[in-house]
Amino acid sequence: MTQETVHTATPRKQRVLLDFLGSMNLAVTLLVMLSIASVIGTVLQQNQATQDYIIKFGPFWAEVFNSLGLFHVYGAAWFVLVLVFLLLSTSVCVTRNTPGFIKDMKQFSEKLSLKALQHQPQHTEFSSNADLQTEQARVVKTLQTQGYKTKVHAHDDGSVTVAGLKGRWNRLGYFFTHISIVVICIGALLDSNLLLKYRELTGNLIPETRTISLKEVPQTAWLGPENMSFRGSVNVPEGQKTDVLFLPYEDGYLVQKLPFMVEVKDFRIEYYDTGMPKNYESDLVLTSPELDEPIVKTIAVNHPLYYKNYAIYQSSFGDGGSLLNLKVHPLLSPVENPITLNTAVNKIEPLKTPIGKFNAEFNDFRLFNMVPTTEEEKAQTGKKFHNNGPSIIFKVRNEQGKAWEYENYMSPSFQENRWFYMTGVRTINSEPFRYLFIPADAKRQKTRFFKFLALINNPVENTRVFKEAFPQSEQTDDKTYALQIRLMQQLMTLFRAKGFDGISEFINNNVPEEERQKVGDYYFGQTSFALQSLFLDILKQEGVQPASDADVSDFDKQWFEDALTAINTIPHYGPPMYFELESFKHIQSTGLQITKSPGKDVVYFGSAMLIIGVFFLFYVRQKRIWVNLRQAENSGDQADEAGTDITVAGKDNKPLPETETEFERLVHLLRTPNH
Amino acid sequence: MQSETLTNHYEETKSFGLRDIVWAAFVIIGSLLAWDQYGHNMDVYEDAILGAVAIGLIWLGRFWPSFQPVTVMVTLLSVLAIYTYASHGNVISANEQAFFLKYLISSQSAIMWMNALFILAMVTYFLALYQRSEFTGKVATSMVWSAAVFGLVGMMVRWRESYIINVEYGHIPVSSLYEVFILFVVLTALIYLYYEQKYKTKTLGGFVMLVISAAVGFILWYTFDREAHVIQPLVPALKSWWMKIHVPANFIGYGTFSIAAMVGLAYLITAKVKEKNPNSGFVKRMPSLELMDDLMYKNIALGFAFFTIATVLGAMWAAEAWGGYWSWDPKETWALIVWLNYAAWLHIRMSKGWRGKPMAWWALIGLLVTTFAFLGVNMFLSGLHSYGEL
Repeated sequence: MTQETVHTATPRKQRVLLDFLGSMNLAVTLLVMLSIASVIGTVLQQNQATQDYIIKFGPFWAEVFNSLGLFHVYGAAWFVLVLVFLLLSTSVCVTRNTPGFIKDMKQFSEKLSLKALQHQPQHTEFSSNADLQTEQARVVKTLQTQGYKTKVHAHDDGSVTVAGLKGRWNRLGYFFTHISIVVICIGALLDSNLLLKYRELTGNLIPETRTISLKEVPQTAWLGPENMSFRGSVNVPEGQKTDVLFLPYEDGYLVQKLPFMVEVKDFRIEYYDTGMPKNYESDLVLTSPELDEPIVKTIAVNHPLYYKNYAIYQSSFGDGGSLLNLKVHPLLSPVENPITLNTAVNKIEPLKTPIGKFNAEFNDFRLFNMVPTTEEEKAQTGKKFHNNGPSIIFKVRNEQGKAWEYENYMSPSFQENRWFYMTGVRTINSEPFRYLFIPADAKRQKTRFFKFLALINNPVENTRVFKEAFPQSEQTDDKTYALQIRLMQQLMTLFRAKGFDGISEFINNNVPEEERQKVGDYYFGQTSFALQSLFLDILKQEGVQPASDADVSDFDKQWFEDALTAINTIPHYGPPMYFELESFKHIQSTGLQITKSPGKDVVYFGSAMLIIGVFFLFYVRQKRIWVNLRQAENSGDQADEAGTDITVAGKDNKPLPETETEFERLVHLLRTPNH
Repeated sequence: MQSETLTNHYEETKSFGLRDIVWAAFVIIGSLLAWDQYGHNMDVYEDAILGAVAIGLIWLGRFWPSFQPVTVMVTLLSVLAIYTYASHGNVISANEQAFFLKYLISSQSAIMWMNALFILAMVTYFLALYQRSEFTGKVATSMVWSAAVFGLVGMMVRWRESYIINVEYGHIPVSSLYEVFILFVVLTALIYLYYEQKYKTKTLGGFVMLVISAAVGFILWYTFDREAHVIQPLVPALKSWWMKIHVPANFIGYGTFSIAAMVGLAYLITAKVKEKNPNSGFVKRMPSLELMDDLMYKNIALGFAFFTIATVLGAMWAAEAWGGYWSWDPKETWALIVWLNYAAWLHIRMSKGWRGKPMAWWALIGLLVTTFAFLGVNMFLSGLHSYGEL
């Protein structure tokens, strides 16, 4: 890739092609293309699911981009082609320049004529009184002490040229840098999935795209241990073992069979006081028919296990199917009848309910939930974070496929001086959870809440309570009394179906505008009277007999308000079920990444070469110096004083501002005897 | 006069003088003391890094003697800060009680001094350019020196502070975007100072300080708006000795590329003024176009070399931490783009022989590419390198 071209006797057509391949313009064009492609690859998220692209770009552009390979830029045929051309271009460039550069490294050009020397970028002339031999010896010595290699040539006319050469490694820098690029590309090629691509093209490899169990994956998506290079990952729960690996491949994955078995004895994770993982590690036992003794090693982030040409990395962690004991509370049921559900993370449980069939998908269990503390709490405890305790993440999906995602905490958390059980819900992944705060009772349980809820839901009980709390007075006839009780019941039905909004809505739809204010006041008054009566009934059941409202404790008043707030939002909570986490057994899984990378050492070798080459290229300057010495042409009368005429010429292959000063300095040294 | 400077040049001795011996002894003793004090926290790789740093410092001090007093100052101030913390019972709140810590050398104070000095230096450099005052220029230069000292002290003390806050948090302060910005301004300033001293280019100071001040502006915003200066613990992937060499090598690259871009800017302005009025005072005060062109080359070459090293080290670290030396992660990819960009720049200059304006423009545009790799990736793209999200 330099201007210097070496003419060889290759046939014309071939030379045109080689000239093109080795041309600087092509090289720079390829570099620019590579850059642009890389930019696309970073701006456009790579290797996402096809549907995501369709949502983002629309079906037309998604198709266009897909056929251009823009969703898998770094594996696209044209990208590989650019790389191949870069490889070719660099190779041609190196081959073409090699003979010239080697010659240039070796030759001293000592035979250059005096005229040629005078045409060098730097040159100067002076005379000395000493004779030629003395001067010659001195020049050779001076040049050598200055780091030049020298070669002396006696010209036919009796003059002598001492040629000096320094910094030959600069040329090596050229070879190193350029050959290193070729080496790195070869290494990368060894690690690429080119062979898999070929197998895919010939049809005996079809990546799997469905999430199915390992047994169901068809043989066409399996790779044997003979596969030369791979990089994939696998999640292994504690106490289990694996001899397969999943390789992400285009839109799906491939299953790689390993020639050894990895067993995960234990997985440990440590946290900072912020709740951030500090370190995680897995105790592994690797067994293979080739091993007499299994390898036992603990791996951690940044500390992999190397076995033959495989490497096993600690890359992530997750839930390995923690056992969950749940109670499912139906939120609309007139009686308390929670269903017990024993399940595990990653399981899907079908639920048959009076309001339809659902699937509960248990996605994750979290042992810790660290949240920043409030200023007050910080002042009290001195801690910046506190633990909200275990939580489960799950989805409830209805028959139409619509899903609600929940985050339920096992323990209550302290907010504004009260304890609440938090449960979050969302229907869109990217949105934050909206929380329902279930107030805890005096024993910090949810018992009272579900009792209260069931009571509201139960029309028969409602009637009983209302009748007790609101006995028929003598002034009201039976019909009016029955209507009043019915109204309260209907208000309860509206409330539990749609919350207070449901009541407003009912009024807006059924009452003429001019009466709304009046009717509204009455209805809400009745509603709150009804709810209060129900609550007092709960208190009675608990053994508290408040004589009047004023006797209700502040705690219970607050609880009542919080409970109403919670019940009021239940209509927005999705399918009316609350999943209570009763107990669990935490089982973690470790995310292992296993690679076989035969090209790694090749790439490292190339990289080392590249670094050395870059330094040679930039910091070793190839400098030439010629000193032509000839017998001074004396005026004749002082024949015994044989002076010498000296011409010094220099050339720097990379002229810099200091070149001139350095040359002058050298000339100064050459002129100064006894140096 | 000409011959005088020349003779000075010739007299330069390459032998090991008394000063060199004292310097080497200082570095060796300092390193040994540091190792004695903190060696129990270090693994064998870190021991090797300390050894290599000591050797590197001895070499750097000989190669660039002005770096010696900087090192001595940084050492003294850092030791004073560490000592003050220790005498206050090694609690972080000492930085609000002890006078020296509060006003001068706790990491936050030192960094604030650095910020102020850099901005003042920029103003002073431009003032010197306008006044044609050599004295003002010298004041500006000494401000940059002081700022660099404060920046380095800030980093050293922050390193110690991270251990004082919580031993588990302890780490070299090159892990977050905030921390590397400080590394960036300090390295850029030091590299600039080297060239300023070597080529007597004080008039370029203001231009280089432009990019440094922009970075300082970012640091201030990041501190006051985002509280990014709070020391955070490391994510597991960053807990490695690789960080100690990968990050600084990278930032020598970023620093030199920035200097090259600013010299390019100065070049373009000077060339423009020169076209209109070749005898203008501004043109006379600025370094020659040839020198600026060469400075661009020297900076890009140095940066390219270190950027290459940093990328290779990064690949090796990635292989150990993420299981692959190359994952086409956005940061990796942008590092490649930066590398390709400057590779093309160097090719065009070295083999096509381009000089001057187009190369200056290219160096300037190169800074945009570099800035995107440095900042933009964190802001707009997500990936494995998401350690300093904005």
